[in-house]
Amino acid sequence: MNVWTGKGDRIFGAVVILGSVAYGVAALNLQVGFMTDPVGAKTFPLIVAGVSLICGLVMVLKPDPDPEIPDGATWMRLAIAVATLVAYAYALRPLGFLVPTTIAAAILSYLIEPRPRYAALAGLGLAVGLFVIFRFVLGLGLLAWPRGF
Amino acid sequence: MTDTFRALLTGAAMFAAGSAGAAECIAPANPGGGWDFTCRQIGKIMYDIGEVDQPVQVTNTAGAGGGLAFQTVVNERNEDEDLIVAASVATVTRLAQNAYGGSTADQVRFVGAIGADPGVIVVAADSPFESLTDMLDAMKEDPSSVAFAGGSAAGGFDHLKVLQLAQAYGIEDLRSIKYIGVDGGADAITQTVGGFTQGMTGDMSEIVGFIESGEVRPLAVLSDERVEGFDIPTAIEQGVDMTGVNWRGLYVPGGISDERFQEWADKLRAVAESEEWQTAMTNNGLAPFTRVGDDFQSFVDESIESQAELSREIGLIQ
Amino acid sequence: MDILSNLALGFSVALSPWTLFLAVIGCFIGTIVGALPGLGPSNGVALLIPITFTMGLDATAALVLLTSVYYGAMYGGRISSILLNIPGDEPAMMTTLDGYPMARAGRAGDALVISGVASFVGALFATIALALVAPMLARVAYLFGPAEYFALYLLAFSTLGGIASKNQAKAALASAIGLGIAMIGLDNSSGFTRFTGGNLHLADGVDFLVAIVGLFAVSEVFVFIESHGKGSAIGVKLDRVTVPWREMWGTRWTMLRSSVLGFVAGVLPGAGASLGSFLTYMMEKSIAGAKGGFGTGVAKGVAAPEAGNNAAAGGALVPMLTLGVPGSGTTAVLLAVLMTLNITPGPTLFANNPEVVWGLIASLLIANFVLLAMNVPMVKVFVRVLSVPPQLLLPGVMMVSFVGIYSLTGSYFDLLLMVVFGIMGWLFRKLDIPTVPVILGILLGNAMENNLRRAMTLSDGDVTFLFSSGIAIGLWIAAVLGFVAPLFLRRIIRRPEVPDHAKPAD
Repeated sequence: MNVWTGKGDRIFGAVVILGSVAYGVAALNLQVGFMTDPVGAKTFPLIVAGVSLICGLVMVLKPDPDPEIPDGATWMRLAIAVATLVAYAYALRPLGFLVPTTIAAAILSYLIEPRPRYAALAGLGLAVGLFVIFRFVLGLGLLAWPRGF
Repeated sequence: MTDTFRALLTGAAMFAAGSAGAAECIAPANPGGGWDFTCRQIGKIMYDIGEVDQPVQVTNTAGAGGGLAFQTVVNERNEDEDLIVAASVATVTRLAQNAYGGSTADQVRFVGAIGADPGVIVVAADSPFESLTDMLDAMKEDPSSVAFAGGSAAGGFDHLKVLQLAQAYGIEDLRSIKYIGVDGGADAITQTVGGFTQGMTGDMSEIVGFIESGEVRPLAVLSDERVEGFDIPTAIEQGVDMTGVNWRGLYVPGGISDERFQEWADKLRAVAESEEWQTAMTNNGLAPFTRVGDDFQSFVDESIESQAELSREIGLIQ
Repeated sequence: MDILSNLALGFSVALSPWTLFLAVIGCFIGTIVGALPGLGPSNGVALLIPITFTMGLDATAALVLLTSVYYGAMYGGRISSILLNIPGDEPAMMTTLDGYPMARAGRAGDALVISGVASFVGALFATIALALVAPMLARVAYLFGPAEYFALYLLAFSTLGGIASKNQAKAALASAIGLGIAMIGLDNSSGFTRFTGGNLHLADGVDFLVAIVGLFAVSEVFVFIESHGKGSAIGVKLDRVTVPWREMWGTRWTMLRSSVLGFVAGVLPGAGASLGSFLTYMMEKSIAGAKGGFGTGVAKGVAAPEAGNNAAAGGALVPMLTLGVPGSGTTAVLLAVLMTLNITPGPTLFANNPEVVWGLIASLLIANFVLLAMNVPMVKVFVRVLSVPPQLLLPGVMMVSFVGIYSLTGSYFDLLLMVVFGIMGWLFRKLDIPTVPVILGILLGNAMENNLRRAMTLSDGDVTFLFSSGIAIGLWIAAVLGFVAPLFLRRIIRRPEVPDHAKPAD
């Protein structure tokens, strides 16, 4: 048996184990009120940490076969998608709805199907179309442009 | 869940922001609750009877059981003369237990209360307890034999009411009295009808529907006098000198002028005397309870003192 | 009869033009969402929740809209199963087995009509059963104290993890992660915050709507980016739709049997619609025997799972409304709605908010007829939807998610959190870790902990109190069995492989 089969599960299992231990330690350090019930604020989180610790161990010791692991280019596309979404989250308030939405939607569209002109049109169409729906049909108070425009 | 609602309102407030000059009432909780009701009703009636010339704008600032709103008022709007904030006995309980992150009651001014939801003690229809004293006798024998369910968290007003009753009856081991805080009065009743707890502590408005359906039997109402329309004896009638009402009122920022404070007190009194308020009270199971101005401030101070003492006694605070 | 006056009350709510309008819109959107590969009822409902709240709908209206979407998605799921061999959502998975062969044989129209009618029969049966059973079951809630609730939550996690997933450890892990996330924020009993790392944004806890939209909707985009939007072209042409009366009449017992079994499967907490369609297909297959030709494109093979999963969808509403424990992923999402609207499920819901419950039931009855009309004579409209290319659809889904959450919370922090949940959803799907238990954990975590604490308060810390009543013991046994039994059963019954593309959220 190849030690590398199930590497995805093994790595994730290890992360879960570390996370469970950290969570458990954090639970042990929780502040306790003056009038505690018999269970208190720590017990349940500790149980949860214990359960996930066991599950992590099982994943390390008995991993499932690996899923299809994305290649380098796909990782890159996923990273761009995440970066786009994070930027979009930050941009939505200061820059208004239309501009960030057009750009973000276009990038996402391009990542799914690399056709630049289609993506640009999709972005613009989605931004305008959704704005009309949100603002005028559903009555949400979206700002179209940055404040002060 | 609460944060969703708070959030929702922040969202809504973002859209509705604007109107300057009008008085604002902060409801330190989500829409639908008691504080929200206070703001909306008092605000509406003040406008309807001409005490204010623009509609009162209601803002919901939920968080930390009213603590968020309290701190905002103290730290950011201490001199805002157009601001009123909904308050109830829960505000006082939390102040007494120092649950507002170091804020104290003297940082704001309590204007008045104009209605109250009397506390009640309820048992399941098939309970062996026929009267409040039956129940308290059993508790005197063994304080842990009677468990209570209530809609507030452990240490909250529903819990304190039971402890105050026990204290007034001369029961000493208050810490052994069992109390579980569940999600609201209806849940507390379910637990009591199901026999998981022997008593339910709550407000009059929470139990009216259940009394009618015959599933529960009220043992005592914790007001000075019986509530009109209900054949429920008071605790005082049964020889236990204790009252516990969940009053509905207002506070204002501590830094406003005495004149302005007096103006608010007068406006509130006008609301209390209006017919609209009488109707609103009847519709929502509130009993009259009018204390306005300095009289109310001293009532609040006394409540805080006694609740703080009780909380210390059961080890809730140091 | 009580129930008649209750239904009258329900119809007086449901027949208002506004509610009716919402039901129709909900059915329409639901069918579309169901038909789109990859988007299932959970995603659809999750996407719409924030928007529902920002529109300021009241409890009844919001529930009517969202449950119509839910029912609609259950109907719609079959469309892409039959035409593309890609289930629109997981419950529709079994429909591919006979639906696609029928379509390949040029009988796509027949398959759509029969499965549409089967969906109608299943959903109608379930709605009527819901109206009859739920009020009775609501009384059962009086038998549930803290210990019983704790055991019931455990049962929900274990059946969800045990039956609905392939790897127990992973399902349990997903539950634990959800529960762990639920602990974040203010602890009501001690008054201190837990696990916030001092971050004020987390003081009130992780909003479960953010988690739901992230896990169910945002993750979808990553999945499509990875797969390059493969498999979205129309596979089979649909020409004419006629009603094959005789063949349909031949499936009448199949439909009825499947409705009953599906409803029962749905009522079990945590099991849900996928189990309903799986069990009913297996049942009918064994009844028909080898001669039945299951898997080669027979009418009963599409009628059984569709009646089954729609009946299960209705059944899953029972535990949600009566006990506050969802029977499936989507009802978990609906429970989130109830909680946000400050409506407590349980016997008091039936007593205090009869207009909500009966309005909902009446709306579901109406929605069913609307759905039948949409899904049989008008099915071609929805087939069109399948040709919306993913590079337009998915960015759209994403933007709706962002705007929905943003208009709800107005906080960029929640948007970032949503993206994190999106990544988590993608990763979990890669590793075959189910995401529904995460949601259930976030949703039920605090209630579960509180009930444990209440139980221990009542018993002075005596752990045996957790097993002190017949109901509690029964639930514990069921929970352990539900978790362990599939380990053995799995060797006997092999689940058919889910086509790679539409692993799903329900």
